[in-house]
Amino acid sequence: MSDDLAVQVRDLVRVFDTRKSFRKPSTRISALDGVSLELSAGEVHGLLGPNGAGKTTLVKILSTVLLPTSGSAHVLGLDVVSQAKRVRPLIGLVFGGERGLYPRITGRQNLRYFAALYKMSDIDAKKRTDALLERLGLQERADDRVESYSRGMKQRLHLARGLVGDPKVLFLDEPTTGMDPLAALDFRNLIRELNDEGRTIFLTTHDMTEAESVCERVTLIDRGQVLATESPRTLATWITRFERIDVQSAGQDVLNTVERLPGVSKLIRRDDGSARIETSNKDAMGEVMRLLVESGVTSISTSLPSLEEVYVSLVGDRGLTL
Amino acid sequence: MSAFIAAFRFQLQLIRNDLDYLLDIATAPVYTVIFLSIVEHAGRPDLAVHAVLAPALITLWWQSLSTSGEVIDSDRWYGVLEPLVATPASLYTVVLGRISGVTMLSLFAFVESWVTARILFGITVPVPHPWLFAVAIVVTGFAMSGTAAVMAGLFVRTRTARTFQNSLSYPFFVLGGVIVPVALLPDWIEPLTRVVFLSWSADLLRDTLTTGPVVDPTVRLGIIFALGAVGALIGRKLIDALLDRVRALGTLSEV
Repeated sequence: MSDDLAVQVRDLVRVFDTRKSFRKPSTRISALDGVSLELSAGEVHGLLGPNGAGKTTLVKILSTVLLPTSGSAHVLGLDVVSQAKRVRPLIGLVFGGERGLYPRITGRQNLRYFAALYKMSDIDAKKRTDALLERLGLQERADDRVESYSRGMKQRLHLARGLVGDPKVLFLDEPTTGMDPLAALDFRNLIRELNDEGRTIFLTTHDMTEAESVCERVTLIDRGQVLATESPRTLATWITRFERIDVQSAGQDVLNTVERLPGVSKLIRRDDGSARIETSNKDAMGEVMRLLVESGVTSISTSLPSLEEVYVSLVGDRGLTL
Repeated sequence: MSAFIAAFRFQLQLIRNDLDYLLDIATAPVYTVIFLSIVEHAGRPDLAVHAVLAPALITLWWQSLSTSGEVIDSDRWYGVLEPLVATPASLYTVVLGRISGVTMLSLFAFVESWVTARILFGITVPVPHPWLFAVAIVVTGFAMSGTAAVMAGLFVRTRTARTFQNSLSYPFFVLGGVIVPVALLPDWIEPLTRVVFLSWSADLLRDTLTTGPVVDPTVRLGIIFALGAVGALIGRKLIDALLDRVRALGTLSEV
C-alpha cells in the first residue's frame, strides 16, 4: 500500500446471515459486494448511497468493529483485521443519531472516559477534553447530563468523542443527522478545519449539499457496489456531458429551433416560460448559445447538474428514501 | 491512565449519577435484620457472626453478578459498545475495571451489616483478627471481580441474562457456605463447594471473627486469590471470544 493512501479497500465483501427462528432457514444478505476504494492521506471523501447501500457496514469494517467476509481493508497501511489493535489508536469513529453516549453522566465525563480509553494521562485527558468542549461550543453545558442535551449538542459531543484520541483518520457516519441547517453549516466548517489539520475524513451522508461542499471526492454506492468515485464536479459531467443552459422568456419558435440542433439531448419547457436545455456534446453548447443570443434572448445562464441529480440518475428512482 | 483504572473510576461516576446501581447494597441491612431475628428467635446468639457476615457476602455476590450482566448490555443499549471497541482499550479490561468498581463499593455492605446489628439489635460482632479480616475482604473482593468477569462473558451470550442471574444466586449462597457453613452440608456437595471461592472466603472470614487461632490463613488466602485469578482468566477468554464472534456475526450493536 502506498504511503499516500490513508484507506485502501480491495474487493471487500460482507455477507450477513439472518435467521429469524430456528425453524426457518437463514437468509444471506450481501451488504458489500466487492467494494474497492482508495482514499489519499488528507482527503475528505464522501460516501453516498441510499439506506441499505452498505455505507455503515463499510465504516464499521474500516473502524475494526466488524469483520469482512472476504477482501481486504487497510487504514494507514495497517490491516483492519489482523492489525486491528494498531489501527484503533489512529482512528476516530462518529455515528449519527441520539445513541452512542452515556446519557446519565455529563458531556465532560463522557469525554474524559474515552480520553482515558485512549490511554491519556489525567492531565492530557483534561486538556484534550477542555479543548474539544471549547472547540465544539459545548463548554457552557459541559457539566450537565447528556440526557438534557439537544440533538445537535449530542451530535457535537459525538464528534468530540471521535476526536478525543487525536485521530489521523476520522470516520463520520451520517454525522449531521437531525442537525438544524445552521448547526450543519457549522459542522461542515469544522470538517474543513479538521481537514486543514491534515486529518483524512471519510464521511457517509445522505446530504448532497454536504457532500458537494466538503468532499474532494465522492463515492456513490448502491446495493453494496461502488457505482462511481470521482470529484463532485466530475460526476456532474457524467449525466449532462457538458454544461446545461437555463433561459428565461425565450419564444417557442426559438426553443423549437434549438431543440432540433444536433447535440441537444433534452429541452425542458416550464410553465413559467423558462426552459432548460441539456446538450450531449461540447460543440452543441456554442451553437445553442449563438442561436439564443441572435434570437434576442438575454436571460441565459449555464450550470452543471447538482450532485443530487447525478445521484438520482445513477441510483435511479430508489432515491434517498429507501 | 490504564483502561482498568479509567473503567473503575468511570463506574463509580456512573453510580454517583445514578443511584439505581446501589439498590442491591441497600438490601444488606434488610437481610441482617432477617438473619439476626431468626438467630434471636432460635435462642442462638452464638450464630450472630453468621447472621452478620452472610448479608454482606450476599450483597457482594448479588451486586457483582448484576453488574457483570449489565455492563456490556447497557453499553449496547446506549450504542456505546461500538465506539468503545474501536478504541485502543481492551473490552475485557474495561469490563473487569467496571465490575471491580462495583465490587469495591459492595464491600460497604460489611459496614452496613455491622452497624445494623449494633443499632437495631445491640449486638457488637468483635473482630479479633482485624488485619487478617481486612486482607480476607480485599482478596474476596478480587476473587469476586474475577468470578463476575466469567459471568459477564456468559451472560452476554444469552438474551435471558436476568433469569440466568437469578438462578445463580441462592444455589451459590448454599455452595458458598454463606449462611450455613460448608462443613454442615452433605458430604457429596463438598467437592462442589471447594471450587466456589465464596466457600473459602466465608469460612476464613468467620474464623477471623472468632477468638481462636486461624488455621493456615496464607494457604486459604492463596486459594481464594487463585480461584479469583482463574475466574479472571476464563472471563478474559470468554469476552475475547465473544468479541471475535460478534464482530464476525455483525451483532456487536444489537440490543
